[in-house]
Amino acid sequence: MSNPFLSTKAKAGSGSIHLALLPPNTPRLRTLNYQYPLKLVSPAAARAGDDLVHTVYLLTYGGGLVAGDSIDLSIGLETQTKLILLTQGSTKLFKAPSRDVISKQCMTVALEPGAALCYLPDPVQPFERSCFEQQQLYNVALPIVEGSKTGSLCVLDWVSNGRPANGEDWSFFRYSSKSEIFLCQPDDKKRLLLRDNILLDDHEKPESIAARMDGLAVFGTLIIYGPLFRQLGQFFVDEFKVLPRIGGRNWDSNSDSGEDEIDPAVSRRLERQRQETEDRVLWSAAAVRGCVVVKFGAREVEGGRRWLKHMLSEDGTIRAQFGERALLCLR
Amino acid sequence: MNNPSSASLHALLLLSDSALPLGSFAFSSGLESFLGHHKHSNARLQAFDGFLENSIANVASTALPYVLNGYDEPEALQDIDNDFDASTPCTVARRASVGQGRALLAIWEKALASSTVSTAEAQTAATGVSDFVTKAKTSKPDAFGMNLNAHFAPLFGAVCCALGLAAHDTAYLFLLNHAKAVLSAAVRASVFGPYQSQATLASTKLQQWVNDSVRRESGKEVLDAAVTAPTMDLWMGRHELLYSRIFNS
Repeated sequence: MSNPFLSTKAKAGSGSIHLALLPPNTPRLRTLNYQYPLKLVSPAAARAGDDLVHTVYLLTYGGGLVAGDSIDLSIGLETQTKLILLTQGSTKLFKAPSRDVISKQCMTVALEPGAALCYLPDPVQPFERSCFEQQQLYNVALPIVEGSKTGSLCVLDWVSNGRPANGEDWSFFRYSSKSEIFLCQPDDKKRLLLRDNILLDDHEKPESIAARMDGLAVFGTLIIYGPLFRQLGQFFVDEFKVLPRIGGRNWDSNSDSGEDEIDPAVSRRLERQRQETEDRVLWSAAAVRGCVVVKFGAREVEGGRRWLKHMLSEDGTIRAQFGERALLCLR
Repeated sequence: MNNPSSASLHALLLLSDSALPLGSFAFSSGLESFLGHHKHSNARLQAFDGFLENSIANVASTALPYVLNGYDEPEALQDIDNDFDASTPCTVARRASVGQGRALLAIWEKALASSTVSTAEAQTAATGVSDFVTKAKTSKPDAFGMNLNAHFAPLFGAVCCALGLAAHDTAYLFLLNHAKAVLSAAVRASVFGPYQSQATLASTKLQQWVNDSVRRESGKEVLDAAVTAPTMDLWMGRHELLYSRIFNS
């Protein structure tokens, strides 16, 4: 028997978001539930082009997770709906009393054909002696009619070295983050499309994670999937191909090119590449199994943020499809 | 000569031989790119040591669960191959893995398939690998449009099982072969000479790294296989940006 009072008994830290499509064509936030310490805030939906785009802020009391906290968020996006997920500042992970007290965050997203999610949060910031595991599960429903469009995802997962001003440098016990995309057929058959799993554990040797990170202060993965982001994915792949060669000599001297006018896009690219060198941003992009996976690291969080913002702005897909708000965490 | 331990010793020696035509010499597992990114580092030797330690740990955490899964469930090789493919989002690493996986299938078909041991597990593994060979040749995409790729790690596990190796030996062998490939790449990239390379290979330090990794990753499920040195992914991925290359990874 179903319990009408279920919501009051809901587990601490649980939440759900459901974006429905009302006929004829109006997306509406049908469900927005949350339990302490999770908090969800939804400002008024905004238009981007012809579409109404909803936004939800994922917040926690105190701006982070205390040892033992457990967040469990489930999100459903009906066909043709668009959702922006944002955070307000980095997710801080506070010190754990011991290695076995783990804080957890779990997010499950069901994406119907034609729906789109843009999740560009601030980085996770694990403090000294913290212990954290998170999991992002994206279930992408395949369309029943062959040839129609699947859902689309642009999701970022990044972690910083903690509070460098306090002398922290990857000084936590354990951090793990797993993102998975499953393709789901109408008959509930599933196939793993992509799994990105990173585990940083000090194995009880202090400073061992910092040694592995080779001077990076932030490391992230951007996953791009689906028809809505095809151009964005291709942009990263193309830009990666034209990065300057490592260990090569630069034979062009700017003076003898004979052309005084440089294409503005080319000069923006050169400026970005110069900034990448200055911020020591290292990145790579790979097109695999219909996804584009971008990995990047930088000597400082701000350098990584600057680089990402430049790339996403230069391409323009996010702004055109979701509006300026989607890029708020990269400001 | 029919006692099982000598048969498995024989197989162990075959599979650890660098003359096994897997083409491992063509891959540096990110070392070449790492050196390219650390041109100005004067403590090259020390930096290499760190690289090797991280490389062994990272290969263990990303691939060893798949090796052992291929060993334990050779009948599920096709699913394991898909999951490994989904978990390797780096063009260069995929190329290296698929290249060696296909080479292993060729060796299996042309040389090893006729020399399996007679235990039930070994026969199941042999059937699993042979089925995989047949399926890989027809290369029809499945209901989700995915093709078989022939990744090295799970196939290596299944082949070891078919030849009668113990699971622990298989894990140790897999990691030691990786260490050997990186060390041989280091010699060719002039990090140090062949004696220094052998000294590292023989050292208790390296044995410790391999043993620690085997202990840590055995018993882990494939869905928990994870990157533990994210910088490895960066260097591997950026191998394509090197101006000149002597290796394929």
